[in-house]
Amino acid sequence: MNLIALSLKGLRRDLRASDVRALFVALALAVAATTMIGFFLDRLDRGLTRQAGQLLGGDLVLEQGQPFDDGLRQELRQAGLTLSDQVDLVSMVSQADAFQPAGLKVVDDHYPLYGQVRVDRGDGIEKLAHGPPPGSAWIAPRLAQLLDAKVGDSVQVGSLALTITGLIDREPDQQAGFAGLTPRIMLNIQDLDATGLIRPGSRIEYELLAAGPPAAVDSLGSRLDTLREAGVEIRDVRVDRPSLGRSLDRAQKYLSLAGLAAVLLAGVAVAMATRRYVDRHLDTAALLRCFGASQRQLGQLFAWQLAWLGLAASVVGALLGLAGQAVLLSLLTRFLPLELPAPGGMPWLMGVLTALAVLVGFAGPTLLRLKRVSALKVLRRELDPIPPSGWLVVTFASLVFGALLWLYSGDPILAAGILLGGLVALVVLWGIGQMLMNLLLAVLARLPQRSQNGRAWQLGGRQLARRRQASLGQLLAFSVTFAAMAIIALVRGDLLTTWQAQLPTDTPNYFAINIQPQERDGVESLIDSAADSGSGLYPMVRGRLTAIDGKPPKQQVPEDHQTDGALRRDLNLTWRAALPEGNRITAGEWFGADTDTDTGSEAASDGSVPISVEEELAGRLGLSLGDELTFTIGSDSVTGRITSLRHLDWESFQPNFFIIFPPGALDDFGHSYITSFHLAEGDNDMLAEMVRQYPGVSVLNVEALLEQVRGILGQVTRAIEFVLGFVLLAGVSVLYAALTASRPARAHEGALLRVFGAGNRILARMQWAEFALLGFASGLLGAALAEAAALGIYGWLGLAPRMHWLMWIVMPVLGAAVVGGIGFVLSRGARRQAPMESLRLLGET
Amino acid sequence: MTYSSDERKTRILYANELGKRVMSGERELVILESLALNVDRGESVAIVGSSGAGKSTLLGLLAGLDSPSSGELEMFGHSLSTLDEDGRAALRAGRVGFVFQNFQLLPTLTAIENVMLPLELSPRQDVAVKSRQCLERVGLGARLDHLPKQLSGGEQQRVAVARAFVTEPDLVFADEPTGNLDETTGKRIIDLLFDLNRESGTTLILVTHDMALARRCDRCLQLEGGRLQAVERQPHGVEA
Repeated sequence: MNLIALSLKGLRRDLRASDVRALFVALALAVAATTMIGFFLDRLDRGLTRQAGQLLGGDLVLEQGQPFDDGLRQELRQAGLTLSDQVDLVSMVSQADAFQPAGLKVVDDHYPLYGQVRVDRGDGIEKLAHGPPPGSAWIAPRLAQLLDAKVGDSVQVGSLALTITGLIDREPDQQAGFAGLTPRIMLNIQDLDATGLIRPGSRIEYELLAAGPPAAVDSLGSRLDTLREAGVEIRDVRVDRPSLGRSLDRAQKYLSLAGLAAVLLAGVAVAMATRRYVDRHLDTAALLRCFGASQRQLGQLFAWQLAWLGLAASVVGALLGLAGQAVLLSLLTRFLPLELPAPGGMPWLMGVLTALAVLVGFAGPTLLRLKRVSALKVLRRELDPIPPSGWLVVTFASLVFGALLWLYSGDPILAAGILLGGLVALVVLWGIGQMLMNLLLAVLARLPQRSQNGRAWQLGGRQLARRRQASLGQLLAFSVTFAAMAIIALVRGDLLTTWQAQLPTDTPNYFAINIQPQERDGVESLIDSAADSGSGLYPMVRGRLTAIDGKPPKQQVPEDHQTDGALRRDLNLTWRAALPEGNRITAGEWFGADTDTDTGSEAASDGSVPISVEEELAGRLGLSLGDELTFTIGSDSVTGRITSLRHLDWESFQPNFFIIFPPGALDDFGHSYITSFHLAEGDNDMLAEMVRQYPGVSVLNVEALLEQVRGILGQVTRAIEFVLGFVLLAGVSVLYAALTASRPARAHEGALLRVFGAGNRILARMQWAEFALLGFASGLLGAALAEAAALGIYGWLGLAPRMHWLMWIVMPVLGAAVVGGIGFVLSRGARRQAPMESLRLLGET
Repeated sequence: MTYSSDERKTRILYANELGKRVMSGERELVILESLALNVDRGESVAIVGSSGAGKSTLLGLLAGLDSPSSGELEMFGHSLSTLDEDGRAALRAGRVGFVFQNFQLLPTLTAIENVMLPLELSPRQDVAVKSRQCLERVGLGARLDHLPKQLSGGEQQRVAVARAFVTEPDLVFADEPTGNLDETTGKRIIDLLFDLNRESGTTLILVTHDMALARRCDRCLQLEGGRLQAVERQPHGVEA
């Protein structure tokens, strides 16, 4: 017997059956959801790998808070590396009356070591292998928009005016993620001094970028280790592949999980449709047994048939996924400044594998029933093989889904956790769903029977009750999907607003940084003249933590915090006599009220300098009272002993510091001042005056920064919502499959009701009512889940909880409309069948 | 029982001391007991009996669709009791045809697809041609692509007859083939069945409660009390 040909023929004949269509739709959706995310992540990953050197800016990147010396440059050149200098800082830039904080990227003539800058110099986008020449600046289109500037205009950077000669479309070494919160301005390193922005204590990153063969980098050997110990941050392209940043990493995880949620729902749909598929093929199997087919042949025949179906669905699903990832990419443009390679083959393979795994896991045990059909069934119709136990089906499906979770997450513990957590949540939700359904049905039973509408609702309710298990399954599928969508919407629309609304009205909304000691009094009086409130000025010294108790931090810090940001870059240090407002001592004691601010440093009892450390940082780095910390500031170093740990209120919008020294200990180091203040909306005169008088001072608008965060959050949530759209479609496929499975029974019930005199109208209303009730209950449960999740999130962020009443109204109503509408349309076929046909063909398609 | 090699060659079905018992709750129900039967190649044998006499059970056993509780049973010279269900299926493949009372056509398959089904189990090229010829032979040449629900009862049974003969089987079982049809249609089906049987030299085992139909067979056996007894043929067609 040519099973493969026969299975293909069988499938072609079967395409008329609604269960086969339901299987196809569910599988295609599962593949679409996973390949969409697969293509997206694969392209991103390969893009990053291929352009790693370019994205990093070189094969080796050295970074520190002060200029590199020529000796080191000489060493690197001798090793065979090409070098490029770069300086990064944030500063105010202005054009006419408009001013805006911007991220300055100061480049030399060797920039870029890899790749090209895409710039529009007025004649469309060009690819250039150099940065802006002296006297000119290239700016991001967003900055141009904020400053209302165009190519040819002049822009003020510090005390220097530069001509805008280009708009940057893409930098080759632009990192993805939240890094670019302030829009970019690029200028030539020869102009840097003239801006007057290089001032002591300013937050400036000096980078030395090096390009060359791996052997050249390796030949530096222990020299790099020495530099590291001296506080230089070193990135090697072979080790530190540019990452997408934690935010996008997380977004990726959520996307993958959402994709697998669609797979799970599609799996449920597959399981439901397979039941009907098997029921419908029992006669075929029995006949084939009669004609001489063996059990093995039968098993293979139907397995092949479903495999073909899976393959066909994979192709359609993958094409949908391909289209979907293009949409996803367009939604995340701000995150993805790199050029991505064309979609690869791996996600296709994974898609096919997923479809087949879903078939094996969710259809396998049920399909085995066809193998066990007795040939005698042709004579005695009642001889159906016993369906597999529900436990077997659920266990097998769970195992296969667990394997998929593992495959996609690459983390067996996470996969097991999600699986077990999911099963527990399923049991709990099942119970809650059951209670909700009972409650709804009890309410329905009290509706007045006289009106036709009331009767339709009651009949619809009874239909739901009759198919309780299947209805509950759909209720859970829809409610969880609705809840996920609602949570995303809340995070996007509500969270930031609620948080902002809860801040006191005089919470500082501006920060001023890079204030030089000689500007201190002038800036302070300017702020006092216009601001409602202010934090006062804090001195700021930048230093890197280079030793804990005399040993390199890496030897002292717990394993999982070796790469902590506090060890990789300069920390802002301050000195202060009094405990800052909003800070609370949690261990040890503050320097003491009798600190003499004018005379030298306050000594601890053993003669060392006392310091106060923020408690979370101390926790991460494993620091405790009595530990000695050494900071390297320029070419000097300072050591302090921890005498207190502090809790910080990050929401105070005051300048906050991880490390506070007593007055006197840091005064001799170069420093600048930072302050925050609240300025009534529209009161911009003072800001303009500040930029004019003190061009080196940068003023950052908190609201503008939040707006950026909101924009990025908006992109991410829209992307997640788009993926959730697929999850919702998978939920609809469950509804479709459930309708397919119950169609013969529905047709029979409908036919009997018609025989008894029910008209088309009441039948239609009854079915609409059934699905609308299902959607209403799903919306209600979804709202409850979303509210509970919001409560958790708000609590976690320390926000006062609040009820989202509108959601409680909108979700059930929307749920009833969506599910009711879809169910009504999908069940149209069963309604249209003539009663005679329904009665005669009971059990057939 | 012993038999010669000539007998072996011509013998299609052989049953001896055949018994079938099933449990009904706590009680054992004897359906067939010590039943003996011998059917030779080319013979047509009718098995008659009242409703519930066990006719369908016997047909299931003889066709190897079910296994007996006791006794010997052979088909084409192979002992069915030594074969498992797959072995019995393999023995039937291509050599046994069936016509059922309720037609047993697959609703999603067209007439020709239903006829093609048994042919597709064996590797051969002429599946479609042969099936079409067979349907033309039963007078349905114009209804090849119709689904069962678009055909009348008589037409559906003709499709079933075509399906039973399409593999040119050695043995055809017919279970109440006219049970669901009116008298005129039934008669036409029977004529067709016997014509095809004669043309192809097939052995036919016909289970029916219709004595008039039974008498058209070479032999007529009555199932009663779980055993088979020969029914005497009356010269004027009157039942004994």
